[in-house]
Amino acid sequence: MASLVICFFGVVLFLAHCEVSASSDQMCIEKEANKTYNCENLGLSEIPDTLPNTTEFLEFSFNFLPTIQNTTFSRLINLTFLDLTRCQINWIHDDTFQSHHELSTLILTGNPLIFMAETALNGPKSLKHLFLIQTGISSLDFIPPHNLENLESLHLGSNHISSINLPKDFPTGNLKVLDFQNNAIHYLSREDMNSLKQATNLSLNFNGNDIRGIESGAFSSKVFQSLNFGGTPDLSVIFSGLQNSTLQSLWLGTFEDIDDQHLSSATLQGLCDMSVESINLQKHHFSDFSSTMFRCFAQLQELDLTATHLEGLPSGIEGMNSLKKLVLNVNKFDQLCQINAANFPSLTHLYIKGNTKKLHLGVGCLEELKNLQKLDLSHSSIEASDCCNLQLKNLPHLQSLNLSYGELIGLQREAFQACPQLELLDLSFTRLHVNAPQSPFQNLHLLQVLNLSHCFLDTSNQRLLAGLPNLRHLNLRGNRFQDGSIPKTNLFQTVGSLEILDLSSCGLLSIDQQAFRSLDKMSHIDLSRNSLTSNSIDALSHLKDAYLNLASNAIGIIPPHLLSILSQQSTINLSHNPLDCTCSNMPFLTWYKENLQKLEDLEETVCANPPSLQGVQLSDVMLSCGITAVGIFFLTVFLLLVSILLILAIKFFIRWKYQHL
Amino acid sequence: MNGFTAALLVWTLISPFHGGRGELWPTHVACRNEDLEVFYQSCDPLQDFGFSIDECSKKLKPKLSIRFGIILREDIHELFLDVQLSSKGSSILNFSYPVCEDDLPKFSFCGRRKGEQVYYAGPVDNAGFEVPEGEHQVLLKLYNENGSTVACANVTVICS
Repeated sequence: MASLVICFFGVVLFLAHCEVSASSDQMCIEKEANKTYNCENLGLSEIPDTLPNTTEFLEFSFNFLPTIQNTTFSRLINLTFLDLTRCQINWIHDDTFQSHHELSTLILTGNPLIFMAETALNGPKSLKHLFLIQTGISSLDFIPPHNLENLESLHLGSNHISSINLPKDFPTGNLKVLDFQNNAIHYLSREDMNSLKQATNLSLNFNGNDIRGIESGAFSSKVFQSLNFGGTPDLSVIFSGLQNSTLQSLWLGTFEDIDDQHLSSATLQGLCDMSVESINLQKHHFSDFSSTMFRCFAQLQELDLTATHLEGLPSGIEGMNSLKKLVLNVNKFDQLCQINAANFPSLTHLYIKGNTKKLHLGVGCLEELKNLQKLDLSHSSIEASDCCNLQLKNLPHLQSLNLSYGELIGLQREAFQACPQLELLDLSFTRLHVNAPQSPFQNLHLLQVLNLSHCFLDTSNQRLLAGLPNLRHLNLRGNRFQDGSIPKTNLFQTVGSLEILDLSSCGLLSIDQQAFRSLDKMSHIDLSRNSLTSNSIDALSHLKDAYLNLASNAIGIIPPHLLSILSQQSTINLSHNPLDCTCSNMPFLTWYKENLQKLEDLEETVCANPPSLQGVQLSDVMLSCGITAVGIFFLTVFLLLVSILLILAIKFFIRWKYQHL
Repeated sequence: MNGFTAALLVWTLISPFHGGRGELWPTHVACRNEDLEVFYQSCDPLQDFGFSIDECSKKLKPKLSIRFGIILREDIHELFLDVQLSSKGSSILNFSYPVCEDDLPKFSFCGRRKGEQVYYAGPVDNAGFEVPEGEHQVLLKLYNENGSTVACANVTVICS
């Protein structure tokens, strides 16, 4: 008997444990109903029953599937994307994906694969992307070649591959990306490259392989979209190996953790024998920098010399006449004139971002760049007390100018007259000094986007934005307004074409009802991170179908007369406000539930008041306030009865009085 | 009592292992010397990682050599480091540093993918300085372009 009790106890314990484990089972996250699910990091050893048969995108990384076979995913026949990263897969058995005709992306990164069956990848009608990164592959014949005719990208990084020679029957006809990053490839032979001859416009990545030799003629008369030999210590090997090839882009940069040889003009000589459009040499050192260094760059369209320790470029560089795009980011220039811009008369794009020294703009240093369309001088500690007509002299075609994250720029009237074609101007996080009532942006007739966020502007200058007839997008984030309010007459009156306005983090307490009257084209307004109350919503009454961000403000109660203003907008964000969930805010709460499809960030839109509902999502609040229709009916009947009784009583009293007279 | 023991045994055997989540990762020594000790603990609830500094000295040299081993739970085409330094409970220094960017992959491991095991032994881009005496707390966070955590460490530096 005792043992029976004990057994019963044991069973109870067992059941209790089952219950505990069931409740601690975490669920997959539904990202898109019936379609996209994320089951990462759940330690699952099978596909959960809760996933619908219609699942198309499944993120299943960091689970536990030592063996996968044709029963493992058989229920999910609509899969198009399957991520099995680090699922500790050892075996991929026959016909695992037999019924998955739609599968196009399969990610097997970081699995200790022992064997893939011949028919392991059969089934999908068009398998396009296969990731076999860090799966321990040492030979390419490990990959079953059947059913790879449609493959567009094959990722084989971080394996033990030493030869890229693909097996004879390996189809490469549709291959566009072949990635061999961080392998042990030291030599590329003609035979290796010939195994890829059916591929057109191929991008080949050998980044992190220590290439020590290329058989001469291996790349001869071949065409590539891009080749990446990042981190290769000896570039002369690469140049001599690439003779007679045609490349769209060639990435030859190196890294912080790799000792590189200094590049000399003799090394770069090899470029004369090939055709390249774009080249990257980031983080290299140049020795004997002379004007003949780039002798062989004549056909080059794009040159990236990011962080190449440059203090200047010599004048009279030969053969850079056709260069269109030059990247000189993270170098050590003192003066903009040190780049000797006259070397690059065809330049349309120039980037000097993140200069490690304070960059002085000088006078007319870029005036030879008559075709320049885009100039980026951001993060380069630029300081100029009177900008920018002398500094940017003669740039008639400049469309995009980035001066963000500078130090201090003083702007006078018509400060950008030198570049009248500007369409985009970014001055964010640069302290601007403008004397009121000057209009520094006057006459920028084509300017569409102006970023003035965190510029410490004097927003009381009503003429600040004058002369911008086509401005569509204005960012004033992080600027202060006097007394925290936008008055009736303000700087927006001159920019009637505005469609997007960002006024977040401006310390605003109120906005006058008429403040935005002139802005009738506005479709997107961001007023988040201020201290606005619902009173300011009145200023938006003329907007229709707009995106309205009121997140992180001080909105508690929204009175009924403002609800129509909200109703006429397309999307509204009211999250992180101290919203009132008492009966005094009943009309808004009702409106909220009726307009959930218009509202953004519902999870963060919670009650602050009353204390009992603090933190509860507004959409979950159920309130019953005041009297209902039935209540009103009974009350009316009751009052009616009372009054009838009263009349009767008075009648009776009067009659009684008369009778006793 | 036999049945009970058996039941208990079965129960303990099939009980799932509830380690890891919710519990703290162990504290490791990154380096230790007479005048400087550096400890760290992973604050990523999902995993621990390995880290050591080759030379440990009060006078930190520029371009320190470190060793770092981790499994990536996110792609790192772009990778950023946030450092929060505090001493005696008050914040001293906060900064953010780009490690990998699209237009400037500084290190050879930039661009590696989710699921890859990364081992890095090499220099970091630090400036040389002398560590002031006392106990300092450093919070290090590595995150990618989506803001997803790649690594997180609570570091304690004790300098005497």
